[in-house]
Amino acid sequence: MPAYIIRRLLYMIPIVFGVLLLTFLLFNVVGADQAVYRLAGNNPTPEILDDIRHELGYDKPLIFSIDSQFVTHVKKAVTFNFGKALDKEPIIDKLKNGVPYSLALTVPMFFGIVVTSVSLAILAAFYRGTWFDRIILLICVAGMSFPYLSYIIFGQYFIAYKYDLFQIYFSPQRSIWSNAALPILIGIVVGIGGNVRFYRTVMLDEINSGYIRTAFAKGLSTRVVLFKHLLKNAMIPIITNTVLTLPYLCLGSLLLESFFGIPGIGGITLDAIESRDFSVISTMTFIFSILFVIFNLISDVCYAFADPRISFD
Amino acid sequence: MITNDWHRRLILLILILPTIHTGCRKDPADEKGMVLRQALLSKPQTLDSGNMSDVYSMMVGGDIYEPLYTYHYLKRPYELIPLSADGMPEVSEDHLTYTIKIKKGILFQDDPCFRGSKGREVTVHDYIFAFKRMANIKFINVNWSGWQNKIVGLDDFHEYTRQFKDEYSVDYSKEVDGLLALDDHTIQIKMVKPYPQFISALADICLSPVAQEAVNYYKDEINSHPVGTGPYRLNKWHKGSYLIVVRNNNWRGEKYPTEGEPGDAEEGLLDDAGRELPFVDAVYWTIFKQQQPAWLSFQKGLLDSKSIPKDNFKEAITSETGLSEEMRERNIRLVKFVDPSVFWIGFNMKDKVLGNNLPLRKAISLAIDRERFIDIFFNGHHVAAHGFIAPGRDSYDPEINKCGYSRYDPEQAKLLIKEAELICGDSIAPLKLNMPGSGTFFTQYGQFLQRSFEDVGLTLKVDYMDLPTYMEQTAKGKSQLFASSASAVSPDSLDVLGMFATKNFAPGSNLFFYSNSEFDKLYEEGEVMFPSDQRNELYRKMERMVMEDYPAVFLNHRVSYVLYHDWNRNVKPHAFSFGLTKYRKIDVEKRNKYKDLLRSIR
Repeated sequence: MPAYIIRRLLYMIPIVFGVLLLTFLLFNVVGADQAVYRLAGNNPTPEILDDIRHELGYDKPLIFSIDSQFVTHVKKAVTFNFGKALDKEPIIDKLKNGVPYSLALTVPMFFGIVVTSVSLAILAAFYRGTWFDRIILLICVAGMSFPYLSYIIFGQYFIAYKYDLFQIYFSPQRSIWSNAALPILIGIVVGIGGNVRFYRTVMLDEINSGYIRTAFAKGLSTRVVLFKHLLKNAMIPIITNTVLTLPYLCLGSLLLESFFGIPGIGGITLDAIESRDFSVISTMTFIFSILFVIFNLISDVCYAFADPRISFD
Repeated sequence: MITNDWHRRLILLILILPTIHTGCRKDPADEKGMVLRQALLSKPQTLDSGNMSDVYSMMVGGDIYEPLYTYHYLKRPYELIPLSADGMPEVSEDHLTYTIKIKKGILFQDDPCFRGSKGREVTVHDYIFAFKRMANIKFINVNWSGWQNKIVGLDDFHEYTRQFKDEYSVDYSKEVDGLLALDDHTIQIKMVKPYPQFISALADICLSPVAQEAVNYYKDEINSHPVGTGPYRLNKWHKGSYLIVVRNNNWRGEKYPTEGEPGDAEEGLLDDAGRELPFVDAVYWTIFKQQQPAWLSFQKGLLDSKSIPKDNFKEAITSETGLSEEMRERNIRLVKFVDPSVFWIGFNMKDKVLGNNLPLRKAISLAIDRERFIDIFFNGHHVAAHGFIAPGRDSYDPEINKCGYSRYDPEQAKLLIKEAELICGDSIAPLKLNMPGSGTFFTQYGQFLQRSFEDVGLTLKVDYMDLPTYMEQTAKGKSQLFASSASAVSPDSLDVLGMFATKNFAPGSNLFFYSNSEFDKLYEEGEVMFPSDQRNELYRKMERMVMEDYPAVFLNHRVSYVLYHDWNRNVKPHAFSFGLTKYRKIDVEKRNKYKDLLRSIR
């Protein structure tokens, strides 16, 4: 297993390098001057624009030089010294401030979605063809058909404003849990539709297998059969689906953060895109690519634990 | 078998969740202290006065910093008055030397950057430092472009800073001939040429005194550690979410104005005349990136005032009575005011199709129904633009509507297009407009324009893009047509006239690449003229001169509508000033009863 993990980690190098090159080309070649115009204020002269390009190092060679912009870009990434955003705040501080809020929103949402949708999928599969199954499916399809935004607007207007059950918007006087409760609930409701349908299909494949019939024939209780035998054998797609979602948790939820004022990473990324803050966008992309590769590896390792037939060789 | 217990447990859990949540919360509306709760519709970029240029930074920064001058809170027309200056400046006969005294005893707020963490007294050296810092090339200052070639020796200082490694290694002891400290409380400023807008420029927050100790102590972090002299100081700033400012105990103190414009006394705006400021203990600024939560928060009493979102306009305002019944029931008040601004569709005069084709530009202007545009996009409450100098500015021309520059006449437009085709030698190729956004408003705006163009036989393609791309393309002259707008920062209209001066070609403010030698000559004259009827006449003549050439289709001027709760006192909108929080007052008892009022309405 260690050899396998090391091999996979080595694969990370070209992937991450590719991501760095791509983001660099995208923002430094296509859109570098946009940040210059933004920093120049109103009515700049061409000389002022040149001065800013010089101060930001945009007049240095792009790639093929020891002090080129790309080398500086790679150096920053490799040393995890991401530098400063255009507003001069260290990017690492931005991350430190934003990640806890994003996680407070996305982690409960993630567990809520996984637990609810797996449980409902098992029940729907077990009661397949009955009114229960049909109602669950109907709710899921209906849930998937509405846009995310309509849940947010509905939740904010009716649940928070009209019925006063939750608060409308982030307030520093309240705990983060209190601030995040409604967006978490909305996130779960939105997220379960597609997941339940997917997991139900997975469960249906398994529930007709011979070992399930054998387990019932041996007199095991329904709970043991469903949650021990069926669930364990359906773990591979569940692992793939859930572990690969994990990197997204750190990136926050753009819409929910924006509508509920949660000061998380989603908002920071959006601001960076709007203001063409290449350093921040590049850092986010870099971190996300690393997380994605790592969690991909974790999911592969988990397969072996979930299914003894899978080996690292 | 699975029993129904599972379902019951799940349903119970879902039902209990909100109960647990609501049971342990404290409503932030139940405030005991006098706290003002305001909304910001975008995050402030910085709280470093030296690099402040966006309106949201200034809304907060205006409470923390104090420049030399400001506008009177209540008087209209707007009147400049001293703020940290001790009286208006003494100006030499040639209008080149300004001698300004500053008030004695002004202290910076207490801060760890000072010895013993106690704020020291402000001297004129702190103002001189603010000027020099703005000129520091390593600082990359958004406001520098406006100060080039204005103060004697400041441009040389700008060049001098080029040699240093970074912003903080610059030696500020180098003298600037045009910035002299006659003593600790008197500054003399020498101008390169007469600059009639100078005193109003000194009302800009970016020229508030800056303590060099603070810059050296916080370095880049000064963006989020403002050290000012104003009535409030920053308590907490969670970027992108909220800011809290609280009273600055070192503030010099000031009294509420005793004079205003006619009608202010009847409105209760002089009830606090002569009372010690500020009234409010703290201000919570919440950043709302979306309009809906801000609107609902206001309705629920969690915000003290709010502009009306486009989609909620009919809910709040009725054309017959002003405020809707729903708003009246909640004791919500309305204030509306002319917010000097202008929206337009600009033509790139360097463009082959548009530049040499006056009939085509005129035809496009005649093709757009401004009244309908205002009805659709601004609920009929903006004013059609007949020129580009907005109402509320010194040289606004009340007669310009008689010139017919904003006439809607599609038939005449069609005739002009035939003329335009003769100039082109062919039919007019599809035109392309750059739109600075891709949200619903911009899409609908684009569709409206496309329809207007279609009606007169033209084709318009709209390129919806993000703001930085739009700014870059327009500044580089790559836009054929572009939708844009400008808001006034002072009553003087020279800034909008400057948008048509050849010397201001983009990346300067002339994004139209409009060039007219006669206009340029008058602009040079106007630049050094001080406010007078003669100058107003000159400005109006220049405006008409530009309008005759149709370098843009001017669409509308904004009229702002602001709602506020009746517990929010001394509310008077101001088009040019920030730092108005010190005048506001909250009737806390009334605010705390709002919940009961809401319950009774429901």
